[in-house]
Amino acid sequence: MLTLLPQLVVSGTSTGMLYALIALSMTVVYRATTVVNFGHGDMVAAGAYAVFVFSLGFGLPFLIAMLLAIAVLFVAGFATQHFLLQPIVAGPHLSLAMMALAVGYTLRGMLRLEWGNETMNPSRPYPQDVYMFGTVVVTTDDVVICGFVLVLLAALFVLLQVTPLGKVIQATFQSQRGAALVGINVPLFHALMWGGGAALGALGGVMLSMITPLTPDLGQWTLVQGFAAMTLGGFGSLGGAVAGGILLGITEKLLGFYVNTVFIEITGYLVPIIVLMLRPQGLFGRRMTVRV
Amino acid sequence: MDRRLFWLVPLALLPVPLWLNPYQQYVLNTALVYIPVGIGFNLVVGNLGLLAFSNVAYFGLGAYTSGVLMAQLGMPWWMTIIPAASVGGLAGSIASIPALRGVRLFYLAIMTLAFGELMRWTYIRWEALTGGSMGMAVPTADLLGWPLDSDRRKFYVFLALVVLTLTLTDRLMRSRFGRAFLAIKDNEISAAAMGVATDRYIVLAFAWGGAVVGIGGAMFAISVGHLSPVSFDLTELIRQFAIIMVGGLGSLIGAIIGAAIITVAPQVFISFPGFDELVFGILIVLVILFLPRGLSSLLARVHPAFTDRFYRG
Repeated sequence: MLTLLPQLVVSGTSTGMLYALIALSMTVVYRATTVVNFGHGDMVAAGAYAVFVFSLGFGLPFLIAMLLAIAVLFVAGFATQHFLLQPIVAGPHLSLAMMALAVGYTLRGMLRLEWGNETMNPSRPYPQDVYMFGTVVVTTDDVVICGFVLVLLAALFVLLQVTPLGKVIQATFQSQRGAALVGINVPLFHALMWGGGAALGALGGVMLSMITPLTPDLGQWTLVQGFAAMTLGGFGSLGGAVAGGILLGITEKLLGFYVNTVFIEITGYLVPIIVLMLRPQGLFGRRMTVRV
Repeated sequence: MDRRLFWLVPLALLPVPLWLNPYQQYVLNTALVYIPVGIGFNLVVGNLGLLAFSNVAYFGLGAYTSGVLMAQLGMPWWMTIIPAASVGGLAGSIASIPALRGVRLFYLAIMTLAFGELMRWTYIRWEALTGGSMGMAVPTADLLGWPLDSDRRKFYVFLALVVLTLTLTDRLMRSRFGRAFLAIKDNEISAAAMGVATDRYIVLAFAWGGAVVGIGGAMFAISVGHLSPVSFDLTELIRQFAIIMVGGLGSLIGAIIGAAIITVAPQVFISFPGFDELVFGILIVLVILFLPRGLSSLLARVHPAFTDRFYRG
């Protein structure tokens, strides 16, 4: 039994990296605007579909299709914040949550209207292969997903810690009023962060579409898994989102193998309930919320 | 205008089935099913002001309680209404536990969302009772031995249940309980400081909302005749949100208007899957932007009797 442990950890980490990316993209929006994007799952799904359309529909090379999908979702996220959320930003939380939910619902309707309820399997842009490390099997999917997410994380870290834009982002994270006082355009910043979050989510969707079939309902599952990773790591913490995502992926695999296979399906539902009841600040508390 | 004149509305509806074909009758019945669903949801989200996203769980539990009791134990449908309401109410009280522990806003929304999804998973996995993802057939309903085998007969039973839940909830909202809900929504801390036992009222509101939605679930079970987990997913949650947002938050009349629109509108474009989601999504966006109090606020402009007194923005 225990000999399988390294294998489970490896494949759990790979899935967990995906959850981490999705949770991170949700956290970026939440940290910047204190609005939880309940439509984020559908944005992720829309990103996956966009790549599908650009690469197979228009016959573009995969990398260009991916860049175009990111651009489309960035515009969508930017527009959502600028035209729909900014006008009601002073309103009740329910309206903000509903607005995000409704945008997601509209996206899902568009996907279903175009593609119906069929599932689709986009082909991978790289050959599938298997590497053996002792008894542990690592697939090309694992390598691509982990490598891709790690590169993204490094890029984000540099963006936040080193560049002048990162200073603006951190300043606005810390105090919106203070940022406004020193001349930062906070509404523009919020819109940019929504665009950035949606673009990151689209990247998650691209990775997701390589390991699971696409359906218009993909967003529902994505949303719940993203929430689970966010709450596990500590809501609003960027580092926590990553750690929570990886931990969620591993937990799911371990519980599924050693306890009961049903846990693969329900860990994502149980985690937010248990974490918020026992330790609402998540595993990494609040102290980690300021820096990555 | 006296508010008692509202009693004329159900009376006026009594002869309506004579002019409807079976399909139109079915649509009207579905609209009636969604009125208790909207009322229960509105009570927690609109009147109490807590972001509880577990309404579909109460709806599904009510529907499955009714369906399983009929199919497995051979109980007549009318005897399953109270169990369905009790299970819905119990689920509501369970969903209120995080709220009692101080979980609020988006955190509460996420927890209750996860609770609802967990329930949907239960319907899929508890195959012995629910038939799993293939779903289960609901036997023919009856009322004290009178078979409810046509949509026309169901209509009258549904109408009675809708009037009952509407009247009772209206009574509740006008009692000290309802005033306590409004006080909690306005300012929970000052309500507690004034001596309102906020915990008790939060549980009560969740339980009442769950029970009313559970009754809606029992109606849904015999209205569609076939229960499957797909009917209780996140898409259904947004449909129920559309009812209360489009109709008007915290308004009983809003729940009726919302239920009617959300049921009738998709029939127009039923042959295009996805189009209903698209239209509802855009509708919710437009309502939030331009009519934050929903369509019922338009009625209130026409005549003050339609003004709802149970909502604080």
